[in-house]
Amino acid sequence: MMIRGRKHIILSLSILCILNSISVSCRKNPQEKLLLVTIAKTGRPDPDFISGKSWRFVDGAQIATVNLNKPSRLRILTGDFHSACYPEVSYDGKRILFTARINENDPWQIWEMKLSTGKTRKIISLSENCVDPVYLPGDRIAFSRHIVNDTVGEGHSLFTCNMYGSNLKQITFYPGNYFAPAVLKDGRILALSRQLTPSVKDPVLTVMRPDGTKADMFFKADPEKVIVNRPRETDDGRILLVEKYKGSDSPDNLISINYNRPLHTKKILSSGAKGSFKAVLPLGSGKFMVSFREPESDKYSVREFNAETGTPDKVVFELKDHDVLDLAIAGEYQRPKKLPSEVDLQVKTGLLMCQDINFHGFISDAGSNVMPRASKIEILGIDSTYGIVPVEKDGSFYLKVLADKPFRIRSLDENNRVLSGECSWMWLRPNERRGCVGCHEDPETVPVNRIPLAVTKDPVIIPVHITEVREKSVELE
Amino acid sequence: MKKIYKKLIAIVLVFLAAGLLIYPPLHRWSREHVNYITATDNHRLDCFSCHLYTQKTGILAKLVNADYYSPFNLAITNDGKRLFVVAEENNSLLVVDTEKGKVTEKIKVGTRPHSVVLDNSESRAFVSNQWSDNISVIDLETLSVIKTLKTGNGPAGLALNRDEKYLYVVNSYSSDISVIDISTGNEVKRLTAGNNPTGIQSSPDKSRFYITSRRALLRPYGEPVTCELTVVNDSIKRVIERREVNSAYMMENIEFTSDGHFAIMPLIRPKNLVPSIQVERGFMMTSGIGIVELKPDGRIIQMLLDEPNAYYADPFDVAITPDQKKAFISSSGVNVISVVAIDSLLSIISESSTELLDYYANYLGLSSRFVIKRIPTGANPKGMILSKDGSLLYVAEHLQDRIAVIDAGKMETVKTIDLGGPERVTMARLGRRVLNNASGTFQNQYSCYTCHPDAHEDGLVYNMASKDMGRNLANTQSLRDIGDTPPFKWNGKNHTIYKQDGMRFSTVLTRNEPFSDKELDALVAYIVTGIPYPPNLMYNPDGQLNEIQLRGKAIFERTKDNFGREIPPELRCNTCHTPPYFTNLKMADVGTLIESDDSMLFDTPHLNNVYASPPYLHHGRALTLEEIWTKYGTTEKHGIVNDMTKIQLNELIEYLKSLSGPEYYREENKKLLARIGQHKK
Repeated sequence: MMIRGRKHIILSLSILCILNSISVSCRKNPQEKLLLVTIAKTGRPDPDFISGKSWRFVDGAQIATVNLNKPSRLRILTGDFHSACYPEVSYDGKRILFTARINENDPWQIWEMKLSTGKTRKIISLSENCVDPVYLPGDRIAFSRHIVNDTVGEGHSLFTCNMYGSNLKQITFYPGNYFAPAVLKDGRILALSRQLTPSVKDPVLTVMRPDGTKADMFFKADPEKVIVNRPRETDDGRILLVEKYKGSDSPDNLISINYNRPLHTKKILSSGAKGSFKAVLPLGSGKFMVSFREPESDKYSVREFNAETGTPDKVVFELKDHDVLDLAIAGEYQRPKKLPSEVDLQVKTGLLMCQDINFHGFISDAGSNVMPRASKIEILGIDSTYGIVPVEKDGSFYLKVLADKPFRIRSLDENNRVLSGECSWMWLRPNERRGCVGCHEDPETVPVNRIPLAVTKDPVIIPVHITEVREKSVELE
Repeated sequence: MKKIYKKLIAIVLVFLAAGLLIYPPLHRWSREHVNYITATDNHRLDCFSCHLYTQKTGILAKLVNADYYSPFNLAITNDGKRLFVVAEENNSLLVVDTEKGKVTEKIKVGTRPHSVVLDNSESRAFVSNQWSDNISVIDLETLSVIKTLKTGNGPAGLALNRDEKYLYVVNSYSSDISVIDISTGNEVKRLTAGNNPTGIQSSPDKSRFYITSRRALLRPYGEPVTCELTVVNDSIKRVIERREVNSAYMMENIEFTSDGHFAIMPLIRPKNLVPSIQVERGFMMTSGIGIVELKPDGRIIQMLLDEPNAYYADPFDVAITPDQKKAFISSSGVNVISVVAIDSLLSIISESSTELLDYYANYLGLSSRFVIKRIPTGANPKGMILSKDGSLLYVAEHLQDRIAVIDAGKMETVKTIDLGGPERVTMARLGRRVLNNASGTFQNQYSCYTCHPDAHEDGLVYNMASKDMGRNLANTQSLRDIGDTPPFKWNGKNHTIYKQDGMRFSTVLTRNEPFSDKELDALVAYIVTGIPYPPNLMYNPDGQLNEIQLRGKAIFERTKDNFGREIPPELRCNTCHTPPYFTNLKMADVGTLIESDDSMLFDTPHLNNVYASPPYLHHGRALTLEEIWTKYGTTEKHGIVNDMTKIQLNELIEYLKSLSGPEYYREENKKLLARIGQHKK
């Protein structure tokens, strides 16, 4: 028995070696880089940046590969689909995630394709539209899903699931939209968010951990502009974005912001370009490619970008009557960090501490712009107040908030008059612990090293009418 | 021969056993074993990581470890031809020919040398030996030690006075300054400094010395963290000013501009009073510099080197070009030299009110206005020295055994000088790099070193808010020789270092991807094998207890109180604090719970070198050893002390202060165990 077993092992190993050598010899030239493009017929309706129509949901779009050495060779990968767009390449460069629908009236769903065989499989099968998938470290994906419910109203929220579509988890809880997520090298998700309730606001780039915790503003465009692409991070610590003027025919801007200090490092890269950008693709060593349309042209084509002149130069690829909407390289790249999660779904609340609600940043000339001191805060839900809570003498407060419910905070004086308007919508994930330095303070400010008075007492449960939350008791680490 | 033969057989057997464990049926057992040790189910099955790399003694330990140089601080001759490198782990001063880029001489000095300074004539070098409490005086012509000068405890920074008659030695462990008359070799004065001082520089006119401290002044938890900058007048050799630097500590060094208008010192601004709920937005640690204005009523202005999404942990040394245009700061936790444009610093200071400057101390956006370059280096850049003309900057790459040579004008590394240490990186060495590097923490905000400088502890109490905010305070514990004293943490929840530094560690502390299996194995190898206690030369210089300490020892070991009553075994000191580590490795309730604690037992802490670890108890409320009993031991759960006289308590404290590393007590432990055995019979 033993000898027969050994023979089988040796035979199997030999076959494996032969197969491996065959596969190596058949493998394509590693220098041959494949560009993945999303193409769609020109003349589509203008994109609706709120609903996502014709922007994140591009009817009739297809995903194709272009050999960069022979750009005339275009190969449609998604011919079996009515529409398919926005491919995202796996870290090993062997698979792509994409948004697609087989028939015209199907909901948009998330699919994965093995690039070597073209074989596809459906990851998400839901009745609502799901778009913009990205790979997360640890065999999970994130994507944007259309939802309608009492908590957030109607909008697109970010979800994560495993590679088989199960273990589905919502990670954003916000009355608005989340689109075009990307995963930063530090492991966090960067996505375009736009508040829809109670009023529609301009989109901002929001960053969060893959479990939806520590959601925070990363970058905001000037009031007259909007960001319209999926953020792309470069190897030299920049994030490339396309900025479009709202309701104006002014040329788009290709801009970069530095990861280290995103709020104050915006740089217009396309100063010499007049036209529209759809997408940008970093290639390493400071080079990148863009999808660009000149004013007199009728289509977006792929071009190399000349960083010195600030203009898209050589056309790499173009297709008659088609726009190129998105770009990706089919190749291996560095996996982002896999961040640990503090979320515990058996806990129903999260904790929020503010060090000083009366801190708004540095105020010069004492007396001229000094706001009256807040002595209370009001916590507002979607359609009702969650209650008014007094703040401590040092301006601190400490709340235990029902998790996964959006809320905003405004400051009040002792007569309940509003002093400072509502902050942006926030939510806490179950067992999340979160802190802020002040109210509408400069996000580049760190806390002062002092004990907030509020944490010397028990947290106030929000909504305040709840006196006790029965939940798993968190163990001390 | 027979012994070697036996050892070889033993090694082969160990390897065979290890091999067997990889294959069924032992595979399942080994999987369960590793799961238990690491508290995960996916750590790699590698017997070597636990059973080979953690060997402390014997042939295996020699095989897997190596002796490195670990360059720490530097000095250079006026012509820039000879560089003197303190090799911390080699107990030597290396002489480097900068043109050839080679070590030309190795001069043996005392234990754990720290700093080196040359006299003006470049005929002598003075090297401080931190672990042997002395200074090696080296003749630079013969390149030999010609004299050894006795100092206080833990000599670190050095400076010569104007006429070079006196040497100022900063004693880092006894927190004072020795003023040594070089001609006689005698210490003529001992001046009190801040807490754990290391850095010293004279003002350009040589009239004053500025001494920086690393640990904050001992104050109750909740009061602002404050660190002392001590100013000494050389002519009267007295401390003339104790400047409190607020919200900062770990001021490792200081350097003056040539015009003497101000000095720059690296510092860390900890957030230990803020609940540790997130790393984002600088909630745990920030690193920066202090600008000391030297004019009358001059301020100490603090600015961060960090950026909103990138932190520059563990700033160590500073070097300023003679033209005062640039300052170089070695950020040892991120392997970077930050280059500061001094003109930009000055313009920020001149255009800002004091209130605005106070605000800037917590503002991450400011560094982009004055940091003009971040130069990457090898592992753990520490001491730096500029050539006299300011053209070249030499950087001691502490854990790379290398000197980086940076063109100060171009701000680029132009050359590296290999000091000739082992090329291979042992597991323990890799572990030391992991411990000293902040890349394990989200956005590099802090390293293990930040809270455990020199693998010890930083003397701060933190609100590790893994459960609720404001509760369950934790006094940082030393990592020295901690490997043999499980369980870990005050609440004893972690039974191995693997668990302590594994997944949960990344969730609640580093908030980053956990260490890889290899990194964790390396970290464990370093912590278990590589962090000895410094000798306790201050309270136990020769291993012999003095009379007071002997009386204290008797109290420590007593079985009856002053009234002749039998003390129950569980209330005797040496029942729980058993040598050699003075811990029985068990949990206990010693009546120290405070209102902000959850109900729990506490891990019995080890007491080796306990004198060097204030504050005391898990909450750090006891600022001195005495306060453990006078303020926090009133219930008599922590030993019977209420019968003792003040003198007896002092004697007990003196004995506790005499406790040294575990190697001194192994025999004592054997005797104690024998005694217990006899008692049982």
